[in-house]
Amino acid sequence: MEADELLVLVAGGDQKAFEELYGLVSGPVFGLVRRVVRDPAQSEEVAQEVLLELWRSAARFDPGRGSALSWILTLAHRRAVDRVRSARAAVDREQREARRAHHPAFDQVTEEVEAGLEREWVRRCLDRLTTLQRQSVTLAYYDGYTYREVAERLSLPLGTVKTRMRDGLTQLRKCLGGVA
Amino acid sequence: MSLLARLLGRGDLHSLAAPYALDALEPAERVRFERHLKNCERCAAEVRALSEDAVRLAWSTAAPPPAAMRDRVLAAVRATPQEAGPMAREHTPQLPPHVWGTQPPPGRSRAPRERRPFFVPFATATAAAALVVASLFAVQANRTQDKLDAERAQAREIAHVLAAPDARATTRKDPQGRSIGAVASASEGQAIVTLSGYDALPSGRVHQLWLMRPGAQPRSLGLFGGGDTPLVATDLSSSATSLAVTVEPDGGSPQPTSQPIVQLALKSVGFGE
Repeated sequence: MEADELLVLVAGGDQKAFEELYGLVSGPVFGLVRRVVRDPAQSEEVAQEVLLELWRSAARFDPGRGSALSWILTLAHRRAVDRVRSARAAVDREQREARRAHHPAFDQVTEEVEAGLEREWVRRCLDRLTTLQRQSVTLAYYDGYTYREVAERLSLPLGTVKTRMRDGLTQLRKCLGGVA
Repeated sequence: MSLLARLLGRGDLHSLAAPYALDALEPAERVRFERHLKNCERCAAEVRALSEDAVRLAWSTAAPPPAAMRDRVLAAVRATPQEAGPMAREHTPQLPPHVWGTQPPPGRSRAPRERRPFFVPFATATAAAALVVASLFAVQANRTQDKLDAERAQAREIAHVLAAPDARATTRKDPQGRSIGAVASASEGQAIVTLSGYDALPSGRVHQLWLMRPGAQPRSLGLFGGGDTPLVATDLSSSATSLAVTVEPDGGSPQPTSQPIVQLALKSVGFGE
């Protein structure tokens, strides 16, 4: 069964359907959370919370507004970002200053993304973006920075970052368009 | 962004669509943008498309979760009530029957007609569980996002306690009908505690919960938030013998300054070893 059908059953309290849904989405949810949160123990905690939230809030899913998988991964991303930001809030200010002073390599994503077909395609498509597009998109999505923080880190005006994010995403869409 | 949109002054909010799709807005901006989205069909369509793009970035990160996570999540699911959807406003959230002590937990219920109360952690505790559950779901209307977040965090902690294999419930009622109830897990060192039937305190006074151990000073477990809001107490030592509630000045006291108004023994829920 597809995630969309399963989610509807889950909303009706079907625990078997939830188990099946778990099999489908726990990998993507856990992987995404770990990518953003980094710390293994915290990632596990956030992923668990997200999966439990799927059970609790399944009834909120509106099939008219997108696919179940998008809804689930959007939720997972939101929670991961919330966690990494609250953890970061306390210590980050000084670290950010330090990092900026050292002009570190921002483009870690390209190296960190591992093998695998989907990974390979995403990596290739990310590589085709301009450097600023890529950095704007990945600092926000994979590292959980707000666009203001991204602008600060890249020493760019806010408007430029917003535009780079949009262009980066639309370029990705074009590049990934043919891949399921 | 078109020149026209810029001239009309919509440009600024509209340009937040991509940062929004990437979860890159600050909380206040997120709220402002979501309000804008409700009245802007074009933005909604654009956000939908950009969010789908962002999700493509997620797929490439998939990784197998630790095997033990599955058991933990499924156990929590069995003990966690679901929210009503937008279509089912009158829905009354309920815990699964085994939590009420009327049925063995799922997975052990191959023979549903056969009663096996010795497997059931809550068999003697329906009243206490009812207390906790009733107060949890009493309020459904008028919830702000902050409150929802707080409730979600609390529901998570409660689910955690309920999912513990040794979770037990206990309650005590006085002749005036006032009661204290707790669902506790000795292995997790946690308890969910509710007060019910007590008159609202005058302003500047709060109910404070204490952990009592033999030969030790009472230790504060926190302040009750008023109404029927449950208190989640953590770090309970297994030597604890009882819980006590006192009335204290606002903000609580380091040590009790008055006689307990009620005490609840913890022996029946696996403490006091």
